[in-house]
Amino acid sequence: MKTIGTDATPIEVLLVEDSPGDVRLTREAFKDAKVHINLHVASDGAEAMDFLNREGTHSGVPRPDLILLDLNLPKKDGREVLEEIKKSPTLKTIPVVILTTSASDADILRSYSLHANSYITKPVDLDGFLEVVKSIDSFWLSVVKLPRGPNS
Amino acid sequence: MNTRAKEMPVTADIVESKRPEETVEEVLASSKAQLEQLAETHLAQMEEGRRLGEHALQESEERYRLLLDGIPDYAIFMMDAQGRILSWNAGAERIKGYRADEIIGHNFSCFFPQKEIERGRPEEILRMCAANGPHEEQGMRVRKDGSQFMASVTFTALRDRSGNLKGFSEFSHDLSERRESEARYRGLLEAAPDAMVVVNASGEIVLLNVRAEKEFGYSRDELVGQDVMNIIPEGFAERIIADGTRSAAEALAQQIGTGIELVGRRKDGSEFPIELMLSPLESAGGILVTAAIRDISGRKNSAEHLVKTVGELKRSNDELQQFAYVASHDLQEPLRMVASYTQLLGKRYKGRLDSDADEFIAFAVDGCNRMQGLIEDLLAYSRAGTNGQVLCEVSSEHALKRALTNLKTSIEQSGAVVTHDSLPSIRMDETQLSQVFQNLVGNAIKYRGAETPQVHVSASQNAANEWVFSVKDNGLGIDPQYFERIFVLFQRLHGRNEFEGTGIGLAICKKVLERVGGRIWVESELKLGSTFYFALPEGA
Amino acid sequence: MNTNPDILLVEDSQNDANLALYALQEDRLANSIFVVRDGKEALDFLFCCGAFAERSFNHPPKLVLLDLKLPRVDGLQVLKQLKNDSRTKAIPVVIMTSSDEERDLVEGYKLGVNSYIQKPVDFDQFRATVKTLGLYWLVVNRPPVTIGLHSERSSH
Repeated sequence: MKTIGTDATPIEVLLVEDSPGDVRLTREAFKDAKVHINLHVASDGAEAMDFLNREGTHSGVPRPDLILLDLNLPKKDGREVLEEIKKSPTLKTIPVVILTTSASDADILRSYSLHANSYITKPVDLDGFLEVVKSIDSFWLSVVKLPRGPNS
Repeated sequence: MNTRAKEMPVTADIVESKRPEETVEEVLASSKAQLEQLAETHLAQMEEGRRLGEHALQESEERYRLLLDGIPDYAIFMMDAQGRILSWNAGAERIKGYRADEIIGHNFSCFFPQKEIERGRPEEILRMCAANGPHEEQGMRVRKDGSQFMASVTFTALRDRSGNLKGFSEFSHDLSERRESEARYRGLLEAAPDAMVVVNASGEIVLLNVRAEKEFGYSRDELVGQDVMNIIPEGFAERIIADGTRSAAEALAQQIGTGIELVGRRKDGSEFPIELMLSPLESAGGILVTAAIRDISGRKNSAEHLVKTVGELKRSNDELQQFAYVASHDLQEPLRMVASYTQLLGKRYKGRLDSDADEFIAFAVDGCNRMQGLIEDLLAYSRAGTNGQVLCEVSSEHALKRALTNLKTSIEQSGAVVTHDSLPSIRMDETQLSQVFQNLVGNAIKYRGAETPQVHVSASQNAANEWVFSVKDNGLGIDPQYFERIFVLFQRLHGRNEFEGTGIGLAICKKVLERVGGRIWVESELKLGSTFYFALPEGA
Repeated sequence: MNTNPDILLVEDSQNDANLALYALQEDRLANSIFVVRDGKEALDFLFCCGAFAERSFNHPPKLVLLDLKLPRVDGLQVLKQLKNDSRTKAIPVVIMTSSDEERDLVEGYKLGVNSYIQKPVDFDQFRATVKTLGLYWLVVNRPPVTIGLHSERSSH
């Protein structure tokens, strides 16, 4: 069923996360992923937009197939990034999964209103966190048909 | 300071206007004029009466007497040309002490002090009066009992139609009485806790008390006769001065009884907030206004202070709230890192490290987990009772049922039996009430003894109209020395190994209840069980 | 009839509906699942009108499983209306379709579908797919909470 996620065409995942500890954990968790992924990291909102717009130092980067987005980011806040992505005609089709510590109903509702595809609260314990990354892998990267953009 | 009809002339007399005698004169003049007329008529009638007959005379005399008797504050009587007393009214009886039958026929000179009689003063007065017209004077008089008093007296000659002298009328008033009333009024004015100022219809100050002198920093002389605008620049004079569209009386009537907030100005120019209470005085000279002036800088300050304090408290509360939220939120992340990586270490190097390392890692991870729990609870505590929803009538039975549904698992596992009486509808946030029930019933089940836990919930109204709920159990019970401590945040009576939990449940209940004006307490006996009570105020 | 289900399944094929129901209920992933057969019914349900006038916007399903080839109103139309209305746009919608048209895929994501799944032909794989998506959307994913947000009576 899937033609991507093989060694030839890895899935490009952009992780927007400011905590290096969480980045490393995510990388560790994806190591056991069923599919082959390239994990790109942006550590603040501005860098995330540069990456997506292929600007600045990120001119040659691939277009992500999936974005994992934290809400609380320095410089440009994750909510702003979400809004910009979903307003852009070229970027809006990329599924965005909010992956954040906030469990507030307000944040959840607001994210969906801004057209986030999914919202996940980071579990506080390690095992929980690993489980979550695993399910992102088994759903988004295995079951879901991801849109490939105008120029992948 | 409301003086009415009877004392009307008194008030007029004590007014210190620029020309005091004028006012007295005005009052006396009008009454005098009336009486003169009457006297004349009476004399004329007396003459005619002889012609008309005793009957008619009696009638007119009767009428005359009634009229005169209706004026008890004034001695009014008639004498013949030699000074022999012909008539006598109730006022004369009261003031001079003689009854009519005792005095009629006697000469009026008996009212004078001995010295005056020897000097021939009484005759002199009559002579002057006959020659020059109405004679007024103030002089000492003697009562029947010998006591002397200062009187204000007016003599008027009475003539017949031909101009022949027929006699005199005397119209007199006991000034000591007047002075007494005056003194009494002044006494009251001086004794008043507030500054008192009496103002006439033109806005001039006619009277003030010593407090007013102190408040405004003026001496009496400096203020009497001055425009009241000197001490109350705005708002008072306008209310008093008739503006042509309505009379001063009407203007005043609208203000009576209401406290008016204005600004007072002292001699040194400084201003301060005042409250005026006005009351009218009627006088022959027109409406006078007595104003009680109260310095309300203290009250204004304390009202402002109160608003400020409440504002500060709210701000402080909001800050605490925010702090608790941010602290717990921001503390989570580094904590997660420590917990996660410690666990990762354990996993990754399992079997490759010695048993000490395993143990150390276990302690570290455990510490992190507990800290995580505390932070979550702290967050929950800071949020408890703050989702200010509008209180409305809710069924407390429904709230209890919700709590029991949430406790389903622990009820099933322990085999607990939870019963309740019928519970009332009250004004309370249902979620918070349910939270309280859940904590109390949950505790009742958790801290059970050897027997199957039995929990009973009931409610009743006490003398203060509060609804008092009770949750009774047959569990472990609580040592009385801890009755207060258990409601303190994170205070526990058992170790973590005995019962899980962080000691937040009762603290949350207390916070939630106290926020709505309620309270919570416990009665208990070790080994027998506990009853937790909570009361919700009236209006619930 | 429970009209506040966890999942609204919009599926005209009886066979596929049964399979999905079976897969979801096997692992007790959903407390309740409601099935509608066409796009019009789906819209009536989600917009609380017609036969579903008693429903409230305050209790949306946690997930809408939406087939594309539907009678009366087709799936993409349903999706478009859902995502364009502030009362319904936050509801997670997952397209589950047999279509392999690239056009449908792109259009779906453009219209704001939360995720797009192509139904596996194989029975077992279909079941596995449904379980995975059920697990993800009902356990891992946080649905939006809208209780109290909307005034009780609204009509489409």
